[in-house]
Amino acid sequence: MADERENVGKIYAPRPYNVIGKSKPRIDGREKATGAGKYCGDLKMPNMLYGKLLQSPYAHAKILSIDTSEALKIPGVIDVITAKDVPDLKYGISPARWDENILCIEKVLFVGDKVAAVACLDEETCYKALQAIKVEYEPLKPVLDYRTAMDEDMPQIHAEYERNINTEIHQKFGDPDEVFKNAYHVRTDTFVGQRTYQSPIEPHSAISYWKEGKLTVWSSTQTVHYFQTYIARQFGLKLGDVRVIRPLIGGAFGGKLEPTGLEFCSAILSRRTGRPVKMFYDRHEMFAHNRGRHQGTYEITTGVDETGKILGVRCNFLLDGGAYTSLGIATAYYSGGLLTLTYDFENYEFNLRRMYTNLPACGAQRGHGAPQPKYAFESHLNNVAEDLGMDPIELRKRNTRKADTITINGFGIQSCHLDECIDKIVEVTDWEKKRKEGMPKNIGLGMATGSFVSGAGYPIVRSDYPHSSCMIRVNEDGTSATLYSMSVDIGQGSDTAYCQMAAEAMGYRYENMKIVAGDTETTPLDFGAYSSRQTLMGGWACKRAGEEIKSKILETAGFMLNLPPEDLICEDAKIWSRSRPKVEPLTFEEVAKKYFIIKGPLVGTGVYSPPRLGGYYKGAAVATSPAYSFCAQAAEVAVDEETGQVDILHAWDVHDAGQIINPNLMKGQVHGAFAMGFSESVYEQVLFDENGKLINPDLTNYRLITAKDMCKFDNYLIDATDEVAGPWGVKEVGEGANNPTMGAIRNAIMDAAGVSVSSLPITAEKVWRALKEKKAAEKAAAGKD
Amino acid sequence: MYLPDFDYYAPESIGDVCRMLTEYEDSMILSGGTDVLPKMKNAVLAPKTLISLKRVILNEPGMKSISYEEGRGMVIGGACTHNELVFSEVLQSKYASVSHAAQSIAANQVRHAGTIAGNIINAVPSADLPPILIALNASVTLVGINGARSLSLESLFVGPGKTVIERDEVLTEVVIPDQAMTGSAYFKYGLRKAGALATVGVAAALQMEGNRILDIRLAFGAVAPVPMRAPQTESFLKGKEATEENLEAAAAIAHDECKPITDFRASEEYRRDLVGVYSKRAIRKAIADGHR
Repeated sequence: MADERENVGKIYAPRPYNVIGKSKPRIDGREKATGAGKYCGDLKMPNMLYGKLLQSPYAHAKILSIDTSEALKIPGVIDVITAKDVPDLKYGISPARWDENILCIEKVLFVGDKVAAVACLDEETCYKALQAIKVEYEPLKPVLDYRTAMDEDMPQIHAEYERNINTEIHQKFGDPDEVFKNAYHVRTDTFVGQRTYQSPIEPHSAISYWKEGKLTVWSSTQTVHYFQTYIARQFGLKLGDVRVIRPLIGGAFGGKLEPTGLEFCSAILSRRTGRPVKMFYDRHEMFAHNRGRHQGTYEITTGVDETGKILGVRCNFLLDGGAYTSLGIATAYYSGGLLTLTYDFENYEFNLRRMYTNLPACGAQRGHGAPQPKYAFESHLNNVAEDLGMDPIELRKRNTRKADTITINGFGIQSCHLDECIDKIVEVTDWEKKRKEGMPKNIGLGMATGSFVSGAGYPIVRSDYPHSSCMIRVNEDGTSATLYSMSVDIGQGSDTAYCQMAAEAMGYRYENMKIVAGDTETTPLDFGAYSSRQTLMGGWACKRAGEEIKSKILETAGFMLNLPPEDLICEDAKIWSRSRPKVEPLTFEEVAKKYFIIKGPLVGTGVYSPPRLGGYYKGAAVATSPAYSFCAQAAEVAVDEETGQVDILHAWDVHDAGQIINPNLMKGQVHGAFAMGFSESVYEQVLFDENGKLINPDLTNYRLITAKDMCKFDNYLIDATDEVAGPWGVKEVGEGANNPTMGAIRNAIMDAAGVSVSSLPITAEKVWRALKEKKAAEKAAAGKD
Repeated sequence: MYLPDFDYYAPESIGDVCRMLTEYEDSMILSGGTDVLPKMKNAVLAPKTLISLKRVILNEPGMKSISYEEGRGMVIGGACTHNELVFSEVLQSKYASVSHAAQSIAANQVRHAGTIAGNIINAVPSADLPPILIALNASVTLVGINGARSLSLESLFVGPGKTVIERDEVLTEVVIPDQAMTGSAYFKYGLRKAGALATVGVAAALQMEGNRILDIRLAFGAVAPVPMRAPQTESFLKGKEATEENLEAAAAIAHDECKPITDFRASEEYRRDLVGVYSKRAIRKAIADGHR
């Protein structure tokens, strides 16, 4: 730990802040660590029923009949519902592609699709009830391979989508083909990504209670606002009559961003039974519901001049979307949209098809759409560098994004310190020495860059509402202040960061802050935790609400001291005079109390709306953001040349994330993102058999890395707070930190083993096979000589 | 994913356990529960009756002890957990290779509950303890209604999930006999560093004289329906110098001799190569470090 503290000293220059920039303890740390905290699955209510979904055993089948009579005879089974009992409105992220029903009506589209739901007196009876529901299916030929899903002889999954094309994107800026003609070097590579799953430690769960026209839903969700909107829409309720509350959330990573069916079905079951109904997924049901990372094939062509300057890039991507759109329309646009961030080039073409298949729907997973294309691009760039006989760093430095530029696809970049990130990586990895003097046999070093949005420029539910708002109420004697925000702490620590930002703006103390968050009835609108938006967007709301409190405090203090408010400073819950240092300072508490006595509740509010962002072409809205983080990562790995096993020895991250609100939380995000990226690079893959059934829907066979697999990891910050679009200069850190990981790992393995594995995960067996093929080729070549 | 209904007994003596096993059809022993209970939750197993050993181990301290007995060898009680094998000083001093094998099993939580008997009687091809115990020529004691019998561990396994253990029998102890072998080692290839099943497990026990291999026993896990010996590799190495050339040649024989399958964890081809590589590594370690 000693060396970590050293780093902190080097990284965090002293700042004029009392609360932000400090590793304050998590506001929910104690309750989580002691087990006292309640997650949705822990909640119990008087008279509560337990419910479960019946999932389809077929990947593609017609539902001929459903007989629930036997299930209803089982003692303890209170209700069973099927499609005829629920609204038939389709839902999804984009009105143009609403394609999912609460319960399947005519067909099931993947193994795990929602067929029926039960409500019982206890959990055990639910499983008996599910087994007793008789469903007659007519199995249809399933579409299981996204690469052939377009073929003529393939069945069409959705009537509205010919040849199973869910989304098609063609964007062209400049003319890459034209510049390729005269380029010094043009290279094409194809890389393949795999399906992965977010695997949050807390399973999805929802409790609904529909009583006297009002529906309350407790749910493990990343965004209460989005859930509220869709739940109200399904049931024709006013937004105000739907209350969505998030209890503690045990991780989400994008997998809890959209309704699961648990919310809708428990609501219907509650309305029918008049009792609260809790529904939940088991681990294997989570895998079946999925909405994890899309798998895809990524073909990238780049043309460069003799100095390595990138002249143009063309991408042809093909994604497996699974049975529904889910969040995939955004994923699709993000896939190519974000590739223009870290390197500046003038000509860019991005083509993509997202295919429907009879597999679980893919959605948003940490880094949303960007990590696999970025892995392909960063791997490809290393190949280009090798062709040119150039150091991979030199090639990147030739093309790095600069501050105050606009990407070819229309994203405005204000602060950007990517060059410094790369320079720091060179320094901390001892890059030049290692490259020049060479490294021990079978050990290699690789790097890649990353970038990500600090909040999406446009809302996922179309509206004119501000993206974030909040309210702070100081209690009558000033000893505490409560922050009210609809933001969602999914484990990343936003409740803590929000309280720090509010306290800083108020001139108050973090230790006296309380927070009520993620409840649509008691808190003002905030879109929630997705697209790494909360610290920047919610941060503005906190800052503005805090500043309103502070100005009221200063005005009251001015009155109490007979001094003009402009002369007063409020910091660390004390108010004193700039001009008259001998005047005894007032405490925040006494001033707040005086305010309440004279004027009533001391309240401040703040809102944030991003400016209009982006270009005017189709899809221009996706990947716009007020600010972008930048980073560089490097990894040193050892490859066992006999078994192909990859051992990661050391990894580094250098981040341009603007002002850091809580260094420990930032580190947690960067460590976690890297670990997740490493895990996806070498281990994780959701596997299906020839009938579309999951092979590994459990945590033994779906391999996440363990603590033992993780390496020594150092993270550094660029000391820069010049981002004008963020409060105090903050930018995101949670998702950008896994943007470069897979590319860095691949490049390190390539460097260590001298072989390229062009698909994820880069398993030991794939490396072993590549090594074997290389040896065989060398032998054959030697034989010819 | 819900534990089905079952009857539960916790008898006082092994005799009662044996009697109940015959008396109650469709009954199973519950010891560590790390395999039986998840299988019941996943509807792979549905025994009507579970017979817990929790009282038996109070009355039969031998079931829970690891000791060296003059003349018999290392005696490990069947109800010893994997972690008891990991942390046993007497086992570490004589056959640390067995402690290492126990430490490679699953994760710490499982090692705290799962037992050596369970790891054996499940007869899972990838189990980590059978290869090293077979390499060390261990035997097991089975107690049934008609008394106890001793059986070499190697002859216990019939197929995946199948053993020669009779319905009424309880595996009470594992005995590693005194032997001339001067070293032993177990190498496991798992797909991650913890919480992984063996994709390939290789155990070697050998007797060295200078640099010459006088005797050797090799046992492979996860590459055949049952833990398998490698007679051809063994006879090739017996009497030979432990040179890198000989080890390479032995690895090639082991590669051909094992009988792996292709599944989603690894291909047959890869497993064969791994058996060769890990045979070399296990032999090298057993030569260099003895039983440590």
